[in-house]
Amino acid sequence: MSAPAPTTGLVPVPMPVSAPAAARRRRRWRAIQSDAPRVTRRAQSRLGIMLVAPLMLMVTVFLLVPIANAVYYVFVDFNGINPSPPWIGFSNFTELAQDDKVWAAFKNNVIWIVIGTIAPLAVGLLIAMLVWNVQRGNVWYRLAFFIPYVLPQVAVGVVWGWIYEPSRGWLNRALELVGLDVITTGWLGNPDTALYAVLGTAIWVASAFVFIIFLSALRNVDLDLLDASRLDGANAAQRLRYIILPQIMPVFLMVTTITLVGGFSVFDIIFVMTGGGPAGATEVLGTYAYSSAFQLNRISYGTTLAMLITVLAIPFAIWLNRLQRRLSLQGTGA
Amino acid sequence: MTSTAQRDVRQRVRGPGKHVLLIVLSALTLFPLVLTVSTALKTSQDVKVNPFGLFSSFSTENIVTAWTEGSFGDYVLNSFLLAVPSTLLVVVLSTMGGYAFARLPFPGRSMAFYLVVVGLLVPFFTYMIPLYFQLRSMGLLDSLLGVNLVLASTGLSFGTFFMRAFFSDLPTELEQAARIDGASEWQIFRRVMLPLASSGAGALAVFTFLQNWNNLLVPLLYLPGGDYRPLTTGLYLFLGGRSIDIGPLAAGTLITILPVIVLFLVMQKQLTQGLLSGAVKG
Repeated sequence: MSAPAPTTGLVPVPMPVSAPAAARRRRRWRAIQSDAPRVTRRAQSRLGIMLVAPLMLMVTVFLLVPIANAVYYVFVDFNGINPSPPWIGFSNFTELAQDDKVWAAFKNNVIWIVIGTIAPLAVGLLIAMLVWNVQRGNVWYRLAFFIPYVLPQVAVGVVWGWIYEPSRGWLNRALELVGLDVITTGWLGNPDTALYAVLGTAIWVASAFVFIIFLSALRNVDLDLLDASRLDGANAAQRLRYIILPQIMPVFLMVTTITLVGGFSVFDIIFVMTGGGPAGATEVLGTYAYSSAFQLNRISYGTTLAMLITVLAIPFAIWLNRLQRRLSLQGTGA
Repeated sequence: MTSTAQRDVRQRVRGPGKHVLLIVLSALTLFPLVLTVSTALKTSQDVKVNPFGLFSSFSTENIVTAWTEGSFGDYVLNSFLLAVPSTLLVVVLSTMGGYAFARLPFPGRSMAFYLVVVGLLVPFFTYMIPLYFQLRSMGLLDSLLGVNLVLASTGLSFGTFFMRAFFSDLPTELEQAARIDGASEWQIFRRVMLPLASSGAGALAVFTFLQNWNNLLVPLLYLPGGDYRPLTTGLYLFLGGRSIDIGPLAAGTLITILPVIVLFLVMQKQLTQGLLSGAVKG
């Protein structure tokens, strides 16, 4: 799922996945078969066009036209009022390249992508492996570990804000309890910790997603192979490395793609928890684009920033997708 | 994967230690939820001195305050007005489109499908700004119709992708049998394929509903006048305006997540299926 899950924060956006070889073969066969009578073919294409027409209308008006407009905005200087804004060519891009705030935001995006991809993968896989062969309470654990993913990000932000609260928040109280008073701080108010605090919340959410995906992927792992390796004396780490991981590799790459691409377009959770502050410490490209456009009325500049994020993210999405397709063609896939 | 093989493996797993670890981990995972419930159900006196102490008093006054003074009662209704029609629209259009893309050859089909998939590659906020001005010139700002259409359009790419995969996996034999029996293409879709697709459409519906219910940015941007404000936006603005009132804020948070949790518990299977087929199924 991503489902294009809420298109927010680490919350993953579903990416098109390649069809497995078998399905593709099936589809090709169907194509050959469809030297159906010409009457049938004509009826099929008439119904096909009828069925996609409302969909294409919606997609055109609310997706393609705004995207085309976004491309237009990038090359003009639009302030939201002037109906015929002046053409300024690539000025928005040159300004962007010289804007220190862009580079600071970009750096935060990179930190976010690295930690926000690796940590949920590790945590989610670990918990999935723990829950995987538990018999009693399996359903309960599945619900408990999956639930953070379905909650609205605003609500998540509110509650985690309390946990990070300087004087009475549970995080500091827990740290005091174990004698770590030195590192207590106002987690969201301190520019040194704010980004990592928000990231911590995002990891809580994303791990839930990773967990549920891995849990179902693990069900397809060949248990006889696992037993055999155990008899041959493979330890837990070796079993993970040589038996389990290769079998869930396509899923692993898929989840990586989704969290990684989500890392470029992270917005909601930061917007809710810190709004990019304090002093720009949690500013990412998404929040900077938003504040440029809606608080400073620099519509064109904000759109250019947003466009930059898309342009950065798409190659990763396509690249990893190819990788995954190749792996599933080799028959490693589910 | 035979059940006996599975049982063999399971029996070998050491029980108690692992369960203790899992229970501690799940308690940590659920802690933010416990904290929400606890703070929402405190007396206002207790919230002032000890807002985050767990279950130190009980009162529903925060809930009442949030529901009436905080207008969370209205927000609940608005959330339904925004999430239900948009979800129906996504399910209907995606089912129709998904079937056509999977089963009906027509000119320009792959081009059209690529255009739909663009929505999966381009994040919403790339075009949210131009969309604002577009809706304004169409007279759709601050309207239920406008926000429903936008919410639907953010889910259509995934929905179509999902339903296309679903229809592609259905066997062709039924369709051919119906055709031999003289069914028209429309009858094949309506009477043969649609009933088979109901589980897929159900999963998509649950998933899309959650997305739309949880969406913050769309109502925040496109309902600037404050009419039809849903729970997410309401909670966000409440957070900005009166962050000192922790009690009603907790109650508002609880009201916002409660429907999600209920839906999640009831429809967990469908939701997981939607998630898995969308992201992982090859």
